[in-house]
Amino acid sequence: MSVKPLQPPALKKNNLIAMVGPSGFIDAKKTTDCVQTLQRWGYQVMVDPNTVGLYKGNYFAGSDKERIQALQQALDNPEVKAIICARGGYGMSRIIDQLDFKKFKKHPKWIIGFSDITLLHLHLNRRVKVASLHAPMAAAFMATEDTSYLPFIQKALKGGVSQYKFPAHPDNHTGHVTGELIGGNLCLLAHAIGTSSEPDVKGKILFIEDVGEHFYTIDRFLWQLKRAGWMNKIAGLLVGDFSTTKDTTLPFGKSIEEIVKDVIPSDLPVAFNIPIGHQPQNITLKCGVLYTLKIGEKSVTLKEQKS
Amino acid sequence: MNRIKFLKTAGALLPLSLFHKKALLAAKGSSSTVDEMDSVLRADSKIPPYLQKGDCIGITSPSGHIQYKELLPAIQQIKSWGLTFKTGQTIGLKDGTFGGTDQQRAADFQQMLDDPSIRAILCARGGYGAIRIIDQIDFSSLNHNPKWIIGFSDATVFHTHIAHNYHLATLHSKMCNSFPDNWASATAQQQATINSIRDALMNTKKMSYQSLVNPMNRTGRAQGELIGGNMRTIENLSGTRSSLEAAGKILFLEETHEYLYNMDRMLWNLSRTGQLRHLKGLIIGAMIRTPQKDPNDEMNRSIYELVMEKVRDYDYPVTFDFPVGHIVENYALKCGVQHRLEVTTVGTTLVES
Repeated sequence: MSVKPLQPPALKKNNLIAMVGPSGFIDAKKTTDCVQTLQRWGYQVMVDPNTVGLYKGNYFAGSDKERIQALQQALDNPEVKAIICARGGYGMSRIIDQLDFKKFKKHPKWIIGFSDITLLHLHLNRRVKVASLHAPMAAAFMATEDTSYLPFIQKALKGGVSQYKFPAHPDNHTGHVTGELIGGNLCLLAHAIGTSSEPDVKGKILFIEDVGEHFYTIDRFLWQLKRAGWMNKIAGLLVGDFSTTKDTTLPFGKSIEEIVKDVIPSDLPVAFNIPIGHQPQNITLKCGVLYTLKIGEKSVTLKEQKS
Repeated sequence: MNRIKFLKTAGALLPLSLFHKKALLAAKGSSSTVDEMDSVLRADSKIPPYLQKGDCIGITSPSGHIQYKELLPAIQQIKSWGLTFKTGQTIGLKDGTFGGTDQQRAADFQQMLDDPSIRAILCARGGYGAIRIIDQIDFSSLNHNPKWIIGFSDATVFHTHIAHNYHLATLHSKMCNSFPDNWASATAQQQATINSIRDALMNTKKMSYQSLVNPMNRTGRAQGELIGGNMRTIENLSGTRSSLEAAGKILFLEETHEYLYNMDRMLWNLSRTGQLRHLKGLIIGAMIRTPQKDPNDEMNRSIYELVMEKVRDYDYPVTFDFPVGHIVENYALKCGVQHRLEVTTVGTTLVES
């Protein structure tokens, strides 16, 4: 049994949140609503000028060095009580092994993000043993978006206990399990396997989502998870958003539900169509924290265990 | 334990991993070096019997769907080499994008492994699907009845799985759907790549390859068994019992239809799983990238830089633009067979030794 990850403390009024860009570039215009919302929630916000909104002429939010520096400073600064990653995209793989979590471990803080940030969540779970928030990033705060899922981040930051209820899906496998949550973007989960960031998934509730991949790629990722032993170790599975999955000229011929059911034990509790992923309907989940998952005939509930 | 006995046991049953290298070092005593150990381990991969005139090649489709008529150019060449062929029941079958259901594809492959009259198994095409059936196939007949398994791209699964578990040479090469429809009008290059399959399978001559100098190459010489294939396929085998085991070997990689950032992520997976640490040499074939819709989203790096930054702590030779991958210049490479790699300031040669 692995050590239970530490839960960072809840934020207090006027606490400082740092926004950094550890992965892909984001336009400054897409971050202003996020900054204002966090301020409206009563926090101070410090935006890293070097990796947020400053176009460097290429894909990344900054050079590897700049991105490491931005994230490292936010990790180390005791005044910073939470870190929100401005955007995912790609880039965490390039810097993850150069980050130092020693100071962070002494005064843990919530790290917020998803997609490419999945690798950081996994690394925090496996190596650092600190819980983190799989939640929307800056662009999701834009006033032009559906912002109805943002209060879940606010609640988590304030130390609230999350509790979700979803409609049943005809393909769900019913069940009742308690386990630590772990998961994120399927591509990054597969990418971490065999590396020092691969989490121990035994007894955990795994959640998955992906964006814009082909069906056969999703299938391949899931087969890797199965063949690496994950599907026999996990206690439950939450399948998030795969609505942008692309098909080939010759149709793949299987739905996401069928693809998933092919790789899991028939008695594994599984729930589909959970609002997690690259869409405005993206709930906030605490990776490394115990949840109870009840998949019933009529509904699905996911409740955080009070610590 | 007696070291030789241990080696034999390990060779027959167990994956050839660093774990065993450590175990072997321990068995051998502290005076051994990793290099010495590699020379011991080098003897391990067995080579299936080369094909003789009259021998039979089985053609099956463990991945994507293919029709019988698409095999005809390959069949014509196989016949011209003096070989015979058998086609499996998966040819013409279709289940979504697959050449039949998982059960049908696994059964067809199994039947060809178990049929002693089949001396080599040629995957009809790649696509996707080998990973879904690999655990359903019992490869143990390869121990007493070794035969060549031929293919690339999705068939990389077979190369790494067989190397990992059975230490047997396999052939990374073009498949049926890459044979030119009209042999007489095929380019010299097309003919040469197809002939390289014959040369490899029938041992007509020692394999030998050349590529032009690339200023990003890292010069040097290396000797080792070849292993490798498609990068995406290799990444998704990581952490499984079919995973790449490249230590002490010359690794070759190719990729197609991926964004550059995905290729970078795959290279990081190779790096972070330790696969690049103990190489004898690194061969980079065709890396065909999909451009970003918005050019501003491109990474401002070349694939050469992305590779070199992962291997800068090591000193083995690295060569780019090697003729392997999803290109016309895709020559047959014998995985698990000893080769000598020479990367110099005037060009690169790879020669079977």
